[in-house]
Amino acid sequence: MASAEKTSDQTPLLEISGLKTIFPTDDGIVNAVNDVSFSIARGQTVGVVGESGCGKSITGLSMLQLVPSPGRIEAGEILFYRNADDEPLDIAQVSPKSELMRQIRGNEIAIIFQEPMTSLNPVYTVGNQIAEAVMLHDQVDKKTARERAIEMIARVGIPAPAQRVDEYPHQLSGGMRQRIMIAMALCCSPTLLIADEPTTALDVTIQAQVLGLMQELQAEMGMAIMLITHDLGVIADLADEVVVMYSGRVVERGSVDDIFYNPLHPYTQGLLKSIPVLGRTPQSTLPSIPGTVPHPLALPDGCSFGPRCPERMPKCDEMPELVGINGKTENDGHAVRCWLHTDV
Amino acid sequence: MTKLLEVNDLRKYFPIQKGIFQRTIGYVKAVDGISFDVQRGETLGLVGESGCGKTTAGRCLLRLIPPTSGSFIFGEEQVDLAKLSHQELRPFRRRIQMIFQDPHASLNPRMTVGDIVGEPMRVNRTETGSALQDRIVELLESVGLRSQDTRRYPHAFSGGQRQRIGIARALALQPELIVADEPVSALDVSVQAQILNLLSELREKFQLSYIFIAHDLSVVEHISDRVAVMYLGKIVEISDAETLYQSPKHPYTEALISAVPLPDPSVQRKREHIRLEGDVPDPSQPPTGCYFHPRCRYATDICKQETPELRQITEGVQVACHHSDTLALQGV
Repeated sequence: MASAEKTSDQTPLLEISGLKTIFPTDDGIVNAVNDVSFSIARGQTVGVVGESGCGKSITGLSMLQLVPSPGRIEAGEILFYRNADDEPLDIAQVSPKSELMRQIRGNEIAIIFQEPMTSLNPVYTVGNQIAEAVMLHDQVDKKTARERAIEMIARVGIPAPAQRVDEYPHQLSGGMRQRIMIAMALCCSPTLLIADEPTTALDVTIQAQVLGLMQELQAEMGMAIMLITHDLGVIADLADEVVVMYSGRVVERGSVDDIFYNPLHPYTQGLLKSIPVLGRTPQSTLPSIPGTVPHPLALPDGCSFGPRCPERMPKCDEMPELVGINGKTENDGHAVRCWLHTDV
Repeated sequence: MTKLLEVNDLRKYFPIQKGIFQRTIGYVKAVDGISFDVQRGETLGLVGESGCGKTTAGRCLLRLIPPTSGSFIFGEEQVDLAKLSHQELRPFRRRIQMIFQDPHASLNPRMTVGDIVGEPMRVNRTETGSALQDRIVELLESVGLRSQDTRRYPHAFSGGQRQRIGIARALALQPELIVADEPVSALDVSVQAQILNLLSELREKFQLSYIFIAHDLSVVEHISDRVAVMYLGKIVEISDAETLYQSPKHPYTEALISAVPLPDPSVQRKREHIRLEGDVPDPSQPPTGCYFHPRCRYATDICKQETPELRQITEGVQVACHHSDTLALQGV
């Protein structure tokens, strides 16, 4: 799938810095996203990888001001460069219910979720649902919206779009539903698509179809993609840049080659070693990471990976900063949050 | 190696009923005549996409659902489990156990871990009193849990730990065969490796055989000695794991392997990707001939008319494809 040429031009589209999203609960405050910083360039694919509860989905929802109550963005900036020349807009400061936020959602930043069945309304035809999105954003009449819906359904590779437009979600297969979600997300030509585990619920052959489709549409429309997943294979397939998250923080960040061929954080290394790779695994024990992800209300002091880390040292009782590698700053190139790579 | 289980022509048809008289208007052929065997101490992987019948096949083997036809010859006694009455089946039940996918749904939330793991032994009266308690602790320790855990409830454990409880329960009656249905697919990546290692370790320790049902090809390759690939209720290819992944003989196996994204960016950029068109057909109206032909890029006229039989092409390799002799398919 490497054939799709990337149109990334390195001008920033979105810059997140120091983002902190919290959930106050009866038992204390959960820092779901804690001091997360990374940026997405125009036309680029950034993969965000981590295990359940690491804050990757909440990061995506924060970018659209869709954090479910009682969660809220506590600190940090989400600078969104709507036009390359204008001053950026800080999404973290925009009210979730404001007209401005509504214009950004769907029009400029769109999101697709893991489970297409629960994201589609079962009592409306898929054409209706796509047309609704078109009408909301583009102020066109019903007829044009319907035509646009048919066009989008054709564009995501569903055969017989003129018939499919009048079908209900339950009449479609899982792969087709996810294509409809993509059609709906892309009908207003957003500049950024947030894809939260877009293929996790799909079979491998269907996953390959959907990932290929996303790459084709990206090459055609030039949008950036933020791909949230736990599947390192999907990341290797699509991403240009990778952000590795653990317990709400970014532990390592770099180009896809940095992360896969020169992982520096013990968690990234452990994760890469612990997955069985097709055609390469000998019939022996997999190197596994001991223990489990800590509970968000009982995080260890210092580095959250400390208790599971094979390289643990006394210093790890303090939280290390995310620092750049090879003389670069932490915002540029390969960066890691680990005492092993922090020069004092 | 000796044969532990031999499955011959297993079928499971679910009737489609309609109208007030529940007239049967057709059948969903969930499992449509599959045959394979499992050697003692071996892990047989069963892979396929959703709806291919792999779970139904596993449940039929345990007689959790009654098979429509077929025979399963089990153990040294060579007993056909499919023909036994429920009463006659009882002594065999303890010799085949199951591990389920969802560690949240498969443990009773109102029972303590000790009760859950001890229940099979209480029901079968294999252990009582303090011997039972000792055995529970021993089982929990063998799956990496602690003796203090017996009095805790499932909600207090993480997904991986719950799966360990499920495994301890499956081991309680010292089974010979364990059917594991997607045992790691609900788990996080780092925990997945722990459970896979535990399963391999227990296989050595207790001389178990596994039927390992999963959709993830890399996981199946890692744990299995031999792999059977299913498509629409039929086995399309069986071979030892390495041969299957290095040189697949069925076009569907080739496409499945090609669809798995490898966690290696430069290899992934260079690979040729076979993109299968369309979806798996409706199993109540399967295509004529070879079920895979509408999506197969090598299909010819014969594939539309005749259903290929599963036949042995070399030692240990069985394929159901008309063109398996002439095709040169790519592996990983």
